[in-house]
Amino acid sequence: MAGNGKDKQETGEGNKELFLSAFKTTIPVLLGYIPLGMAFGFLLDGAGYHWIYAFLMSLFVYAGSGQFLAVALLAAGAGLTEFAIATLLLNLRHAFYGLSLLEKFSGVGKVKPYLIFALTDETYALLTTTDVPRGSSKSGFYFYIAALDHFYWISGSVLGAVLGSVLELNLEGMGFVLTALFVVLTIEQYFNSEARFPFIAAVGAGTFSLIFFNPDNMLLASIILGTLILLAREKSMQKTQPTQRAWRALQTEPETRAINASVQPAEDKTRRKD
Amino acid sequence: MLDSLHMLITIAVIALATFATRALPFLFFGSREPPAMLSIIEKNLPPMILLLLVIYCLKDVQWFSAPYGIPELFTISVVAGLHFWKRNAMLSIFTGTGLYMLLVQLNVLSFL
Repeated sequence: MAGNGKDKQETGEGNKELFLSAFKTTIPVLLGYIPLGMAFGFLLDGAGYHWIYAFLMSLFVYAGSGQFLAVALLAAGAGLTEFAIATLLLNLRHAFYGLSLLEKFSGVGKVKPYLIFALTDETYALLTTTDVPRGSSKSGFYFYIAALDHFYWISGSVLGAVLGSVLELNLEGMGFVLTALFVVLTIEQYFNSEARFPFIAAVGAGTFSLIFFNPDNMLLASIILGTLILLAREKSMQKTQPTQRAWRALQTEPETRAINASVQPAEDKTRRKD
Repeated sequence: MLDSLHMLITIAVIALATFATRALPFLFFGSREPPAMLSIIEKNLPPMILLLLVIYCLKDVQWFSAPYGIPELFTISVVAGLHFWKRNAMLSIFTGTGLYMLLVQLNVLSFL
């Protein structure tokens, strides 16, 4: 009996369940990636490229905004260096995603390179917020989520490129599903963690970048700015903590007052040195 | 033929550049311990980045001409309110998206 859970994991039955649970998690991304991928496909088709290129780009590049940028650069006849630099700058934000996944991705085994490759904004958001179903393998669950999202993106872009302007579906506003997904996942993060400062940092850094940076650069700018704010806050907390502790002790514990009083000047001296 | 070769090389360059940005932290901290400072802010990055992604979704909103970003802000507050209340992700996401599509497709706020 006790081994049942483990057995289930090995069999196709448990795998199917895990797949379904990953599928449920990714439904909002499905509904977001299809119209967004189609928009990319339309654009590339409109620029005069065969649909196979939409397929290849979505398969091997797999970066929403990066692929839109590529269409613009293709139209402008950019050189390879420009493609490389523009793509690096635009996607540099993904480096910050990896920073917070170092631990989560350790021990996922041979799917790790693929998980790193497939780390889009949306997949990052899902992986950092969704819990692995009880008794299931982390690597399997993460892999299904990443691969499903990837599959939606490829399907959308090929669909858009093949159908071109044939289809007259009014999908205006459907891309909002991704905004709504981010809102929901932000609130889940709020429930999952006691830290409140990251939200304050985000509002500050985000508003600032929205005003002072152009739309193409604002996400990277805001992530760098926000990270600096988090680091600065951590630094200042570490500095003030010893004196705060002494102050609290001074207020609550009359017996330790004498000790603290003698300790405090010494601490002040070290602080002044900083 | 030359054109398609050029296109394939271009795609390869974009793909490598994108993968490089995603693999960077894993390559850098693959064999060494990340600095203590990093592990302290590590758990604070996801909530911050997710809220920044929400703000990023507003990057193309025209705040100074009609409808002044009202469809976006209104729908986001409905999604947030609904999610705080029911905490049902699918309900919050699809109600919000449906509402937003109605607002922009039927031009409900055209009187502004």
